[in-house]
Amino acid sequence: MNMMAALTVPDVVLTRTETAGLVALAARSVPPLWPLESAIAVNPLAGFEDLPFAEAVQQAAQRFGARESLPLTAWRQLYAAGRIDPRMLRDVAIRALGGSYPAHAVVTPGVTALDLLIARLTVLDPQQAEVEREALTPEVAFLAKWCAAFFDQGQAASPMPHRELGLYRAVLALAGHDPDYARLTGTAGAQLLLTVSRDPLTAIAEGLAALGVPEGGEVGHLAGLVARLPGWAGHIRWRAEHTDPANVAAAPGTMADLLALWLLLERAGALTPRPVAADPATAAVPALAAHFGWDAATRDAALASASGIVRQVAGYSDDRLGGLFMTAAEWTYRNTLVPQLETAAARLDVAGAAVEARPDAQLVFCIDVRSEPFRRALEAQGSYETFGYAGFFGLPIALHRHGEERRKRFLPVLLAPQHDVAEAPVPGQEAAAASLSEGLVRDRGTAALFGAAKQGTATAFATAEATGPLAGLLMAARTVGPRALQRVSRALAPERSAVLAPTLDRHPGDCARPAFTLEDKIGYASALFRLTGLKPQTARLLVLAGHGGSAVNNPYAAALDCGACGGHKGGANARILAAMLNEPAVREGLAAQGLVLPADTVVLAAEHDTTTDTVVLFDRDRVPASHAADLAALEAALERAAAANRARRAPLLGRSPEDLLTGAVHWGEVRPEWGLAGNAAFLVGPRAWTSGIDLAGRAFLHSYDWTADADGTALTTILTAPMVVAQWINCQYLFSTVDNHRYGSGDKVTQNVLGGIGVIQGNGGDLRIGLPRQSLFTDAGEAYHVPQRLLTVVHAPLARVEAVITANEILGRLFGNGWVQLVVIDPETGRTRCWQPRAEPDAEGTDPQDLTLA
Amino acid sequence: MSTNAFTRLQLHRLRKIEIVVHAEDHGAVEDLLKTAGVGGWTMIRDVAGMGHGGFHQGRSIFNDHTGLVMFVGVAEAPVISEVAIGLSRLFETRPGVTFLSDVEVIRSDYFASSTSTLA
Repeated sequence: MNMMAALTVPDVVLTRTETAGLVALAARSVPPLWPLESAIAVNPLAGFEDLPFAEAVQQAAQRFGARESLPLTAWRQLYAAGRIDPRMLRDVAIRALGGSYPAHAVVTPGVTALDLLIARLTVLDPQQAEVEREALTPEVAFLAKWCAAFFDQGQAASPMPHRELGLYRAVLALAGHDPDYARLTGTAGAQLLLTVSRDPLTAIAEGLAALGVPEGGEVGHLAGLVARLPGWAGHIRWRAEHTDPANVAAAPGTMADLLALWLLLERAGALTPRPVAADPATAAVPALAAHFGWDAATRDAALASASGIVRQVAGYSDDRLGGLFMTAAEWTYRNTLVPQLETAAARLDVAGAAVEARPDAQLVFCIDVRSEPFRRALEAQGSYETFGYAGFFGLPIALHRHGEERRKRFLPVLLAPQHDVAEAPVPGQEAAAASLSEGLVRDRGTAALFGAAKQGTATAFATAEATGPLAGLLMAARTVGPRALQRVSRALAPERSAVLAPTLDRHPGDCARPAFTLEDKIGYASALFRLTGLKPQTARLLVLAGHGGSAVNNPYAAALDCGACGGHKGGANARILAAMLNEPAVREGLAAQGLVLPADTVVLAAEHDTTTDTVVLFDRDRVPASHAADLAALEAALERAAAANRARRAPLLGRSPEDLLTGAVHWGEVRPEWGLAGNAAFLVGPRAWTSGIDLAGRAFLHSYDWTADADGTALTTILTAPMVVAQWINCQYLFSTVDNHRYGSGDKVTQNVLGGIGVIQGNGGDLRIGLPRQSLFTDAGEAYHVPQRLLTVVHAPLARVEAVITANEILGRLFGNGWVQLVVIDPETGRTRCWQPRAEPDAEGTDPQDLTLA
Repeated sequence: MSTNAFTRLQLHRLRKIEIVVHAEDHGAVEDLLKTAGVGGWTMIRDVAGMGHGGFHQGRSIFNDHTGLVMFVGVAEAPVISEVAIGLSRLFETRPGVTFLSDVEVIRSDYFASSTSTLA
């Protein structure tokens, strides 16, 4: 332990503002962490996206103490299961060795360099044993404990005092009474408590000076401290950047607070050194020699060869070998999918599609990968045309749900809400709505009373005795007959969506002001057509389908909901846009823009339950009698599609289709569905391009018609927003699989939920980030999700795609640094091009010559 | 306004700072302005223009975090210098430009410092 730090007040070199700048930079090393109620997928390596992918993964692994790749044994399981084409693995190995000539160079008689590398990849024992994961260190446990107390959201029976002072000062005020602090820091810590500045920024500057951190090394030092507690640091970023300030004003906690506490511990010599990764060196030489039957002389001759290839291959770390497997998995997927898309593009006749017969109904789904197989199943049921659009339907809203204190953001985290929307009774359902409202208030009061009684020192046992029998009965019902219990619950209370609906014409805080002006409504309505290529010659029924999952007793339930709706179900957004599109004044406004919808088009909202595949149609009683037959036919088709998709999904979960319905309401179900596991591609083009291909629920589908987007505005929007969200999701799944301990949240069975904030493992430690093990791995421990980077395929002229990328820095970064792989299929030339990531990490912009043949 | 009226105006000399950064860094710049004690500022979103990396597009309609933003702040010279010092550290790794200039304002109380450094 480092006990050298000066305990006197050092000469501070940095100003407070300089320190604030350094703290802001250090904070970027972790992404924000959303609370469970609105769990959002984020790339845990978002702070490293300025670097090329491989370099970023390496640096992040060092900073977080994480693995760079799935273990070799797991890759080999995927390889054996046929998820990776052996030819692709061979091609990747040849490229890694510098090309065909050096790869086929003879190392010893009958053995080439390629043979060596393939043996290391597929046969020889891994060099890095599965290391024992670093146990919770005392300083992490100490800070995590205080963070949990400080950021508590009303769950604690005795709230932490002094929270109004901020995290740093509140902990300083109490640390002197904490025996853990005394054990950790001894007398040095006690002295520091008396002398350290009470201003976190000044304390950080003092700490950096006292520890002798050199100029230029401050950000790295602070980022290293942030990375020691990435969960709580991410929560602090979420509080600072993504929630309404009023929600967190009572307990202000900033990254400067957290860093000041870390530096306090470091100055007191309380930090455990981070383990340094061992150099793989050439430990694999004996294994190679044994595998190829080399005697000592042959081995020595091979090692002494001028090319040094044996040392090179023997020196590959398992992480690097894993990286080759990942590339092979990506190539396997790309080389299977892209030729199919090329063939489909060649057959695509956009002009012909425009004169096709009017479909029975058109349905717009979220781009989510789970929509694709359902859409395919529905399209097989009749004349149904489907589209893919961001699931928030372009509406940047915050919803004030009836009976809830705080508004919720139903929009992508990339956006700030621009409209506050309230819920109001559905016309004709006022009495039921009032009854529901009373029930909500009563339930909240009961829950608060029960919570207080359960945690009170004088009432805890009495509460357990009084409610125990009822709780026991409920538990038995939940276990033995969860679906029966669900039916009973539904019979006792009205369905919320049947009695309450978002209202467009009344702002929640100002009844005289509408939530949307007519101009807003026309704008959002027309965006649906502009961004998806939906033609104004709409069907008699146009359905906007949001989506959400179903799970009980599952802290990750929100992760199954719509990411574009801020981790909420998407029905509300669909209802709002449907209501807009049905307004005569909006139709007139659209017509003025050249979007003349048939008078007989009725727009409906729906919600696709991705766990059960049932689709609820909202406000169906307002469908005119003239459309009753269309509606009945559609509902029947939706039911058939649901059954077909359940039959497809059930074997993937190792269950029966019927059991999927039970899992959705069973409180012991740890994997109600696979969520977005398997996600691999983001396809931008018309549905006719992809409809003939079984994409196996692995592709985000955004509808796009290049012929209707001359200036590239729609393409810019699609690539800079929905694709960015898809990339976050892809990276979250990728890294949560690669290292479920560091980038994921570990086994659900041993998780504990911390208030509404997040989960911890066991009874303490950092807030866990990422996805649980059950969302990514089978019960047998095999990776269900293949960690691979997103493949974006765009059906548009090359020059247009290139112009969009050049004008948007974020795209140059994602494609240029290899975070997303881009393939463009040019409908004008029929050529397919692959965007080549740039080799130089600091080069700005991507040269047109970088577009090379796939 | 006549020339005489203008000469009667009581003008106050202050410093102005203009900062152009990527939208994703706007929070960091706000932190610096607050820490330095700038009492208020203007933020212009969706700034487009030509730079070293070519033409920078304004933000796209579904993403507030793309494109560039521009801050304009006015305060006493020491406060603006503080901001510039903080920015110099930020610009070591993040792209952005800043301009400092002398300005005159009519209502100096609008630009009073909000520093509340804790002891």
